[in-house]
Amino acid sequence: MAYKDLRSFLQILDDNGQLLRITEPVWPEPDIGAAASAANKGLGETAPALMFENIRGFQKPKLATNVHGSWPNMALMLGLPKDTPPKEQFLEFSRRYQNFPKGTIEERQTAPWQEVLIEDNINLYQLMPHFRLNAGDGGLYINKAAVVSRHPDSFDEQNVGMYRLQVKGPNRLSGQFVPEHDIALHFKAAERENKPLPIAITVGNDPIISIVAAMPLLYGQNEYQMASALSEEPCPVVTLKNGLQVPWGSEYVFEGHVLPGVREPDGPYGEFTGHLSGLRNMTSIEITKVWHRKEPIYEYTSIGMPWTEIDYLFLNTCPPLYVQLKEKFPEIEAVNALYTHGLLVIVSTKVRVGGFGKAVGMAVLTTPHGLGYAKVVIVVDEFVDPFNLPQVMWAISTKVNPKYDTVIIPELSVLALDPGSEPPGITHKLIIDATTPAPPEKHGEYSMQVMDPPEAKDWLPKLQALLKRK
Amino acid sequence: MPDYSPSICPRCESETIKVRFESPVKGVWTLYGCDTCLFTWRSSEPATITDPKLYPKKFKIKPQHLRDIPIMPAVAAPEK
Repeated sequence: MAYKDLRSFLQILDDNGQLLRITEPVWPEPDIGAAASAANKGLGETAPALMFENIRGFQKPKLATNVHGSWPNMALMLGLPKDTPPKEQFLEFSRRYQNFPKGTIEERQTAPWQEVLIEDNINLYQLMPHFRLNAGDGGLYINKAAVVSRHPDSFDEQNVGMYRLQVKGPNRLSGQFVPEHDIALHFKAAERENKPLPIAITVGNDPIISIVAAMPLLYGQNEYQMASALSEEPCPVVTLKNGLQVPWGSEYVFEGHVLPGVREPDGPYGEFTGHLSGLRNMTSIEITKVWHRKEPIYEYTSIGMPWTEIDYLFLNTCPPLYVQLKEKFPEIEAVNALYTHGLLVIVSTKVRVGGFGKAVGMAVLTTPHGLGYAKVVIVVDEFVDPFNLPQVMWAISTKVNPKYDTVIIPELSVLALDPGSEPPGITHKLIIDATTPAPPEKHGEYSMQVMDPPEAKDWLPKLQALLKRK
Repeated sequence: MPDYSPSICPRCESETIKVRFESPVKGVWTLYGCDTCLFTWRSSEPATITDPKLYPKKFKIKPQHLRDIPIMPAVAAPEK
């Protein structure tokens, strides 16, 4: 990769016109949230990352947001040309994802974040420019951290996950560890023994680390090994004295522990569902040591009513589903699970026989990720790009006869954060088969479909070159 | 900084509020926190956040209801 940490990636964004520095004075609230929202909604799919360098009340702040928040930024993160279309990014991501077994971890002794060490009088308020993103948020959050933990009994089982953290005091945080999360399993084992769970929290990470920390990997799959597969280079880490491996390229590293038997009010917080999750009693974390680079960059992910930065991060949800489905059905062409982390999934596939689209839809529901997501599955033909919504809408509007092509499966599991679930965690699920009916299916008249001229693929680079010369 | 000296939490209206932090550049804002509901707010935020009368009703909570809010994850019982 052309970058080795967040700083060098921000430089690449800058060189490609994808970083906007905000140097005029802004208020922590509501300016930062408002600017991020305007970038996502107003500048759309080519929005730049934003770097706030003059936040009222803070000395020399550096706050980066929307770092992953557009297709050019995602392409650059993957080391691809910035105009690479989403489907091509997905296919390249999926190719690298399948190299997971070849991923390697490189242990290093020193890291740039060791420049400054704080062990006494830790003050998280002083260390980073915290702000309230959405007006309904119950406080100040760290929302793009990688949280590292190990199972207390089987130490080989290390997890790196992205969990939101509310700042509660100079050295106190609370964390949302949903029972299904790997870290919740680690904490449960420690809490049963009435022992604190050691954790490390890293902020301002190499952008690949953020991708793997938020990725639906299988339990025990090593995130750093996946980061190596995706970057096609060894993933550098440093092992802390408590045995936890942390990324070499982070801006901040906190050491601390989750306190057993303690829960405290946390929330509400504007989640990736575009809705606030309510006030709940959540785990409490004590920070005992802080490392950071000089003039550290604090990174926060833009989140709110979609689309926001986090929705681009969900490109990481597509390859696992794609690989799992393709093992069953080699006809699968591509999987788009971007929407709300795959609460809606669009699959493109060749059709083997009549009824095949519905079988693919059922297969999506029975993937590990489908257990908590995939409330709506849309299946389209292989010549429809599932990342091109106008094409998907065309397929639904012409290929679907609701009498034959929709199936509702009652009372399946879904994540409790889905605001439509009833009770929370249970929902009906819908499959829309928008593939062209194949024999022995007989309904509709589809023999006269217009197809793109095959030569169009040669004309596209020609037109793009001509445009560049203008 | 405009005059702002809160006596109760905008969210739960408890008197258990404390200054959590003063802006590193002196006098720009003060960060407050409530020790009852753990709400945090900054003196420079819009009045819909800082003023208990204007704070949105849908986010208000009564201190006595805090014990009824869901726990996540449940506290793990010791193994017998």
